[in-house]
Amino acid sequence: MHDYYSFFTGPFAWITFLVFIFGSGWRFYSIWQLAKKKDSAVFEYMNMKFALRSIAHWIIPFGSRSMQINPAMTVVTFMFHISLFITPLFVFGHVVLWKENFNISWFTLSNTVADLMTLIVIGSCLFFLWRRIKLADVRYLTTPMDFIILFIVAAPFVTGFWVYHQFPGFAVMTIIHIISGEIMLMAIPFTKLFHMFLFPFTRGYIGSEFGGVRMAKDW
Amino acid sequence: MTEAKSVTETKKTEDQGILKGLEQLTPEKIESVIQQVLSDETGARLKVYVETCVHCGMCSKGCHFFLSLNDPRYSPAGKVKQTLWEIMRKKGKVSPEFIKQAATIAYTQCNMCKRCAMYCPFGLDVAYVMSVMRRICHKLGVVPLYIQDTAHSHSVTMNQMWVKDDEWIDTLMWQEEEAQDAMENLRIPLDKEGADIFYSVIGPEPKFRAQLIFQAAVIMNAAGENWTMPSMPGWDNSDMCMFTGDYEMMERLKRRHFESALNLRAKRIVMGECGHAFRSVYDVGNRALGWRMPPIEVVHAIEYYNELFENNKIKIKKKFEQPVTLHDPCNISRGRGLHEMARNIVNATCENFIEMTPNREHNYCCSAGGGVINCGPPFKNARVESGKQKAKQLFAAKAKGAEVVIAPCHNCHGGLEDIIHHYGVEMELKFFGDIIYEILELPE
Amino acid sequence: MKKIIHNIIILTSIFVTGIGLILMSAGIVYADDCFNINNESIDKNTNTRPFICFEHDIHNETAGIENCSECHHIYDEHEELVPDESSEGQPCSECHADSKNSNNTDIGLAAKYHKLCRDCHLSREKGPVVCGECHRK
Repeated sequence: MHDYYSFFTGPFAWITFLVFIFGSGWRFYSIWQLAKKKDSAVFEYMNMKFALRSIAHWIIPFGSRSMQINPAMTVVTFMFHISLFITPLFVFGHVVLWKENFNISWFTLSNTVADLMTLIVIGSCLFFLWRRIKLADVRYLTTPMDFIILFIVAAPFVTGFWVYHQFPGFAVMTIIHIISGEIMLMAIPFTKLFHMFLFPFTRGYIGSEFGGVRMAKDW
Repeated sequence: MTEAKSVTETKKTEDQGILKGLEQLTPEKIESVIQQVLSDETGARLKVYVETCVHCGMCSKGCHFFLSLNDPRYSPAGKVKQTLWEIMRKKGKVSPEFIKQAATIAYTQCNMCKRCAMYCPFGLDVAYVMSVMRRICHKLGVVPLYIQDTAHSHSVTMNQMWVKDDEWIDTLMWQEEEAQDAMENLRIPLDKEGADIFYSVIGPEPKFRAQLIFQAAVIMNAAGENWTMPSMPGWDNSDMCMFTGDYEMMERLKRRHFESALNLRAKRIVMGECGHAFRSVYDVGNRALGWRMPPIEVVHAIEYYNELFENNKIKIKKKFEQPVTLHDPCNISRGRGLHEMARNIVNATCENFIEMTPNREHNYCCSAGGGVINCGPPFKNARVESGKQKAKQLFAAKAKGAEVVIAPCHNCHGGLEDIIHHYGVEMELKFFGDIIYEILELPE
Repeated sequence: MKKIIHNIIILTSIFVTGIGLILMSAGIVYADDCFNINNESIDKNTNTRPFICFEHDIHNETAGIENCSECHHIYDEHEELVPDESSEGQPCSECHADSKNSNNTDIGLAAKYHKLCRDCHLSREKGPVVCGECHRK
């Protein structure tokens, strides 16, 4: 127990951060290089104003027709993404670790809020799972990897919930919680989870095309 | 949430262009062509599009194929799955059978209308992915027969319809003569240098719809324009090569068209009511030639007509009385934001306007664009079936009283005509030119 | 168009209400009872779990700690440990009080506390290390 704790909060945590940071950096760099070599036109048509206009419409709930005609998905996906980011960054138990290790701290969520947001993430993952299984068009697109990613994302929240509520075996579960969080971070650069970083670019580009050339809305 | 049916069996392709092309394929050839296209002609854009897609299915409702057929195969991402997704995963090691299916999808099950890019949260451009698939098929020589024939015509005659040089001039003179019945002293000035307007049309106009040239001539003359049309190749602004994936030929065509106008020192190009041709001149062809935007101002008929009404250059006898609805063609609304101008024209010319929904950028495609109608009879039934959603939309507009559909695009006309006929919508189809000509007050 | 705007307004309000409800529930406080550490600095805190009763004598007996300064340490002005002197009877916060964060929690004090216990437990490979082992529900 003590060995595992030391390893997964020590060396392995550093490996995780390095893989996450350098993996993401590498992924960005390789896309950037390829774009410069092969898609120089992309830079030509990128337009900050139209890119931001498009991004703004798509990060506001129901800002696009696509979101309006899929209300359930829109509500769930916004609650999910907000909770997914806010919870791990601002839950007290994590902030105190930042304080202990790096002597920095910031705003913390009350436990009840964090607990609710955790449930939102878990519930959303179940909703996504339901969509993947139940909706024929989504099922057709779904690969085994999509289930794995869903699992990778849900795991830190399920285990976190378990640990917080001290269900049986929570001490071991804490170690699993730490590992699952590390797996998620490490998976970001190498899986479709990287969409979080690519969103502003793909959205921004189509927004630039629609705004600058097509003179039309893209939402 | 729409509950889609499960995946249906694929229909057998009977297109001779595709089947003959397949006979010449070996797995090695497929692999080397794919490798070449992927490594030389595509880059980060394709990679990011395919890799970023999280398979969420939000694009499904963006596609009229999916909405009409309710089959997951036809969702935009579903089409990527059956084409580039698989090709990139297998690094080009795919079978001729796979190429057959991929060609059918890319050429006949996507109108390249880019509506899905407005439904994907990431703005992934599936039409671009389909165009890469078409490029691969073109290089493999697996292209539907009928559209390949138009591409051949382009390469031989520089127009889409095998119109010979003398036939072109003959047609213009014939239409000039006809139009003189309506307007004495009317001219279709050929090769006039320094004109304000260089008027270009698509190949099918002299071939099948010559009256459109007549109408345009009357409108130009009524407005007192200093205009011209070219007597030599370069008059056709259409571009099926853009849709087959023959980009070399597309570049030749666009270059010839731009040069025709520039050689005559025309101030700008005004084009007839065609969508795909506008896309090729305004968006795709100029880029292929290295022009960020077209080297000479390109004005679509809608923009031009709108100008005529705004500047009071033409007068009307009375407004068109039958209730009309308006179909927004993808290439000029989603492709150039001309939908508000189109509404200005409707308001200036028609008594009674009924919107179809969804409209403007969100309008449903006619199912004919992107070269799909040009793939001809082997795919006609499938094309009309995929217009079911469009038919519903038309019926809804009809229920509100609309009797006439204005569709300012040739492909849309072709597609809507088939849909109206097949589903028994019983609405009349018109171009803006038809309406303006009908109500135009001719100057003394 | 009107209908679309109407729908946007309705759906957005549902969304905003949802988020609002979550944030409101921030006020709910967990009851803290078994606290035998003199800790004025964190008693207003809404985030921490009550500490389980720390049984001082049993702990030290089990752990074989005889020197009080192992926990009740004293550092001099050069931040060096002063041997043979200890600080029992003096609240930790006298030295370790940190700026309060937005929740009025002295997170720095908590961090120091955690480190003191956990570092020792890890080096001896004995005793609780994960959150829930001390902060029992």
